[in-house]
Amino acid sequence: MLHQHQPMPEGDHILKVEDVSKRYGPVIALRGVSIAVKRGSIHGLLGENGAGKSTLVGIISGQFPPSGGRIVLNGTPLAHADVRAMEEAGVFLVTQESMIIDHMSAAENLMLGIWPNRRGFVNWRRLTADAARMLEGSGIDPKARAGKLDAVARRKLNILRAMFSGGKVIILDEPTAALTVADRRVLFDFMRRLKADGVTFIFISHYNDEILDVCDAVSVLRDGLLAGGSDDIGAMTSEQLSELVLGRGLALFQRERQSHEGKAPLVSFRGVVAKHVDLAALDIAPGEIVGFTGLPGAGAKEFARTIFGLNVAEAGTIAIGGAEPVPLPRAPRDAFDTGIAYLSDDRRREGSVGQMSIGDNIAMSSLPARSRAGFIDKAAESQVVDRYFQAMGIKAPTPQAAVDTLSGGNQQKVCLGRVLATEPRLLIVDEPTRGIDIGVKQDVLRIIDRLSRTGVAVIMVSTDTDELVRATDRICIFEHGAIRETLTGADISTERLRRTAQA
Amino acid sequence: MNDGTLAAAKTVQPQPAAESRNVLGWVLHNVVWIWLIALVAIFGFFNEFFLTIFNMQNITVQATVLGMLGLAVALPLLVAEIDLSIPANAGFSAAIGALAYSDLGLPWLVAMLLGIAVATAIGFFNGLCITKLKMVSLIETLSMMIILQGALLALTQGKTLTNLSDGYIWIGQATFAGGWPVMPLVFVLALIAMSILLRFTTLGRSIYAVGGNAVASKSAGIRVDRIKVLTYTISGFLAGLAGFLLASWQMAITSNQGSSYLLYAIAAPIIGGVSVFGGRGNVLGVLGGVLLLTVIQVGLAIISVPSFYVGMIGGCMIFIAVAIDAIRVRYFG
Repeated sequence: MLHQHQPMPEGDHILKVEDVSKRYGPVIALRGVSIAVKRGSIHGLLGENGAGKSTLVGIISGQFPPSGGRIVLNGTPLAHADVRAMEEAGVFLVTQESMIIDHMSAAENLMLGIWPNRRGFVNWRRLTADAARMLEGSGIDPKARAGKLDAVARRKLNILRAMFSGGKVIILDEPTAALTVADRRVLFDFMRRLKADGVTFIFISHYNDEILDVCDAVSVLRDGLLAGGSDDIGAMTSEQLSELVLGRGLALFQRERQSHEGKAPLVSFRGVVAKHVDLAALDIAPGEIVGFTGLPGAGAKEFARTIFGLNVAEAGTIAIGGAEPVPLPRAPRDAFDTGIAYLSDDRRREGSVGQMSIGDNIAMSSLPARSRAGFIDKAAESQVVDRYFQAMGIKAPTPQAAVDTLSGGNQQKVCLGRVLATEPRLLIVDEPTRGIDIGVKQDVLRIIDRLSRTGVAVIMVSTDTDELVRATDRICIFEHGAIRETLTGADISTERLRRTAQA
Repeated sequence: MNDGTLAAAKTVQPQPAAESRNVLGWVLHNVVWIWLIALVAIFGFFNEFFLTIFNMQNITVQATVLGMLGLAVALPLLVAEIDLSIPANAGFSAAIGALAYSDLGLPWLVAMLLGIAVATAIGFFNGLCITKLKMVSLIETLSMMIILQGALLALTQGKTLTNLSDGYIWIGQATFAGGWPVMPLVFVLALIAMSILLRFTTLGRSIYAVGGNAVASKSAGIRVDRIKVLTYTISGFLAGLAGFLLASWQMAITSNQGSSYLLYAIAAPIIGGVSVFGGRGNVLGVLGGVLLLTVIQVGLAIISVPSFYVGMIGGCMIFIAVAIDAIRVRYFG
């Protein structure tokens, strides 16, 4: 394994990060990190959330200055460069939140802010011609409305935009999030093509296999330090990468899988019909964790949202605990009252009210149960808040802190605390560990596992095969709104899931 | 509650030179009250009549109608919507109440309650339009404002209604214990009721949640549409009450009653820290904003600024308050 601090010939490297540190008050986010990126390569940047990737990328792209060290571009040290200066020097950051204006065409988006013009009047003919030339071979129609483009086309558009603005070094911050396997392949091919044209990429990802697939070199950050890396990706294995990312000794969660066959079901669904959903029957036993997976639009997520009342159900019944079947809930409030709770995958938009306190958020869904004649029972409220604040292990000084100030993983724990405080009999978790680091991920899976032991039925919607294999008793693979295949017991394995996903 | 959040956020991210920042942050946080005290001192310096009990009584009366309207405007703002029709609703509903007494011969109390009921119904209707029809609140309430202003003109035929019963105008004129007016007590009660509503009830908590993040609130089991409709309905009720108080105090209803309050009624809660993006603000802030605007108005009149300049100077003072608030939000959250 080659470490970065070995001497490198000058000129070979387009970008060098030299001994860069960053501190926020007493918190040290980066400690003396040095990375050298070869011209015309794809350089992977790997690490958990909070390892310092975002800070490093922020410094490279000029969003904030380093506390120590320097960035050298083409052999020239750049002092106090802001975003604009970095972009002029050719360094562009393309984030997950793509800056695309939906109601404009692909061509207009490509030229946003750099419209060819004559005395302030936009030269539409040149704009269209230039854009068409840029988009050639990318498979994007210049006239297509950006809002109608699929996820991979939007990523491409952003990358092209950065290139067109003069980008030599393009930083891609988790570009594969929310892309399907096939889309990822398309994106990687696209990156390789641009690489051949001389563009250098810094590629940030959570996934080892992606790094091994597309990158030429890799650097791994852990706790603000450069944990290691290699200039020759061929010399690395996935295990080595994991070890660098996690350090030694992190115990990955593994559920003791249980068989629930022959048990009387706790929850029974019959004839559920909704947009993208047409499912005849599903029974879940008490204490069972059922994994739902499938391609986007196959119905796994849609089914989950329908039975919680977030999507409109055209037909269908639910029976809980041997009671008579009743129609599906029409709104989340009805679902909570029936004993169903749902943890959304979209934490920022749908999970919590960021400006409110942790306590207010935890109490939110169970408030009606803890109030009399519309007045909140403050004693009962603070009791439940304290209980879940501790049980979830939320890292914050007090429950009065605003949710906005927390890290993603802790925000997720707040959301989980909120839904658990309703004391559900069926818990639905949708991508419960997406975008949170691997340590907190184990916490979340452990909490769900513990809950299932109290007899709660759990549905886990996930596209993370590893998580499904580790944490569920049964896996339902969705297709065309129904369950195509069910895996139980020894059939549950990563290989099996990968194979069925591609079939 | 707000201060607690701020303090907690500070402990999470310690700042360099935290001490001086904290002092500055505190000053900016309470800028409405500091600015208010400063203005009282300045006006008192220019004309000592400003500091007399009589003038203080005057200010409380003046603040009452604006305060009721300010509270009514604050509610839709808290759920991240807006209601421009509130002052027009106040004028229109008061005219309904007055005409029900003078033309239909209803007892004044019943007529007055009818007026407030109409105002409440208008608020309810606005809420329905915004939630069920998904009309944009800015435009929906703007058109409602124009409709109500027009309807008031049509009802009054351009004349001023002065045929009000003695009972009706009592509350606007009555005093107790050495000339203190009774009318501001209604405002005080409304302030108390509203802070109880916002702090101690599920409805209040839901209002903040919906204003903070409507999508998350829905998936947390809050019936967002219902909360918004309720908010608009309460707001309409307060507008009706404000309309009654204004008419009772002035002993007349003009053909454009209430309209002059529009901008001040919207400015007051915003100056007092109610966010136009929803989810932030409290009753004490609204009170501060209302008192500040009233002191500016009364003060400029008392130190005999020529009337041609009153609007401009008053506008500048409001501008400063809002600018300082914006700086606070920008740098101190």
